[in-house]
Amino acid sequence: MERQVKEIIARVLNVDIGVITDTLSSGDIPQWDSVGNLAIISTIEQELSVEFPLEDLFDLTSVRSIIDEVNKILHD
Amino acid sequence: MINAPHSSLLCNIAEHAISTPDKTAIVEGNNRISYSRLAGSIQRVAGYMCALGINRGDRVLLVAQKEVEFIYLYFASHLLGAVNVVVDASSPRERLDYIASVTKPVVAFGNDVDIDGCRCLPFRGVEASDRVGDNPLAPTVNAADVADVMFTTGTTGAPKGVCLTHANVAASASNTNGFIGTVATDVEALALPLSHSFGLGRMRCVLMAGATLVLVGNFANLKSFFNVLDSERVTGFGMVPAVWQYIKRLSGRRIARFASQLRYIEIGSAALPIEDKHLLMELFPNTRLCMHYGLTEASRALFVEFHAYEGNLDAIGRPASSLVEVCILDDNGQAVADGVDGEICVRGNMVARSYFLPRDNENSYFGDWFRTGDWGHRDPNGVFYLTGRKKELINVGGEKVSPAAIENAIISLGVADCACIAVPDPGGVLGEVPKAFLLRSDDAPTIEEIKAGLSGLIPPHEIPAQWEWTDCIPRTSSGKIQRLKLKQ
Repeated sequence: MERQVKEIIARVLNVDIGVITDTLSSGDIPQWDSVGNLAIISTIEQELSVEFPLEDLFDLTSVRSIIDEVNKILHD
Repeated sequence: MINAPHSSLLCNIAEHAISTPDKTAIVEGNNRISYSRLAGSIQRVAGYMCALGINRGDRVLLVAQKEVEFIYLYFASHLLGAVNVVVDASSPRERLDYIASVTKPVVAFGNDVDIDGCRCLPFRGVEASDRVGDNPLAPTVNAADVADVMFTTGTTGAPKGVCLTHANVAASASNTNGFIGTVATDVEALALPLSHSFGLGRMRCVLMAGATLVLVGNFANLKSFFNVLDSERVTGFGMVPAVWQYIKRLSGRRIARFASQLRYIEIGSAALPIEDKHLLMELFPNTRLCMHYGLTEASRALFVEFHAYEGNLDAIGRPASSLVEVCILDDNGQAVADGVDGEICVRGNMVARSYFLPRDNENSYFGDWFRTGDWGHRDPNGVFYLTGRKKELINVGGEKVSPAAIENAIISLGVADCACIAVPDPGGVLGEVPKAFLLRSDDAPTIEEIKAGLSGLIPPHEIPAQWEWTDCIPRTSSGKIQRLKLKQ
């Protein structure tokens, strides 16, 4: 799943998967702007059949935090 | 000491460097640049540009990045009388090539920039030059000389290069500061791109006022943006309506905790729904919420402050200052009566007098009135209202219909986003009829439900004759709908 999330982020932002490290955060690269961030959220929701709680969106600021959130939803 | 009588902006920065030399002008991460250092760096970079052989009138392509070196280069170029051609780092290759082929820059500055036939240099290192003379300004530069060429985003046709003089860019900043009230004690967070008229304008406003500018990458990481508001005690920022939707969606009402410290928020570049204006007023009861109407060619022509316009929030406001005039003209350039729709035209100290290519000037002016291409009217109190984009108006059997009015009505029925364009009437009677593109979503109403809902909201001839679901409504980076793409 971790790999899947990173692949989605790389595809949505149109960057090499090597760029998508755990610590990469929104705003760190020009491609990850507000539009890119919304696209990441909606693509992960669609492709992994998850729904991020609205109150958690504010905290999804890094690759790691997104992976952890998806993990949490899938295991709840 | 900077000596640039042609540029009020540079004169202001030079004055701040003398009166408040240690005051922070720019914050870039952990780097704090004082006004004294800013003025010195501008001179130093001008020396470096001189050494490169850049002269008055030469075009310098700046691939804008949110980096302090960009700001040095921008003003150093003004000091020398060279002409900045400011472009976005994320511009498609074809756009960059087109702009370079039209403007023929002598040098391009940017990170990883590569333009055929043009010397390309990185931002880093521009300050390393030790060629700082008393004043590297050799030729005589005039306030009426072109300072910047900004290319429009191209919602229709090829991008047009807008020529802004030293007087224009200073006047726009001065008009805006006069309305909003930005002063030397302010601290502004700049998360807007510096490649666009809005963000670049905010940078000029802050430095003209002698205030502090905090460079923030963008709005994507709201947690980090809010941390900056907190740690730097920010008192103002600018945003486009799309950013406000983003802030709302990701952070709810969290931003309201900064209400007591934010003195102003400038909003612009696209329309903002009335319900969002009310929400902003509720969240920021004591903040000046200033929304501008303007174009790259006529920056910040009109302003509204939401609290002062509570009764007519659908207005686009009054002229930004006494040096700006706005009128409504018909197709022959004649003034129309109050309340009658016509083309919004602007003249004043910040209005561009020409485009870079002479052919683009055709039909762009009525004398010295710049034609915005927007349709609207003025009420008897001198307040202006926008009806729609003239070129985008849908002519349904002689009735001019604003696509924005239909879109707002459709969105009010629960559709996430939509865009309307004119298509030929298949019945061959009405000339044009509206076609609606609807953003697909799981909870969207059906087309039958939308039609039923619209019948009470807009006149029958405005109800779209054709409908199409889509996964994306194309918009420019500032949020404007790219209707031309929908027509293709």
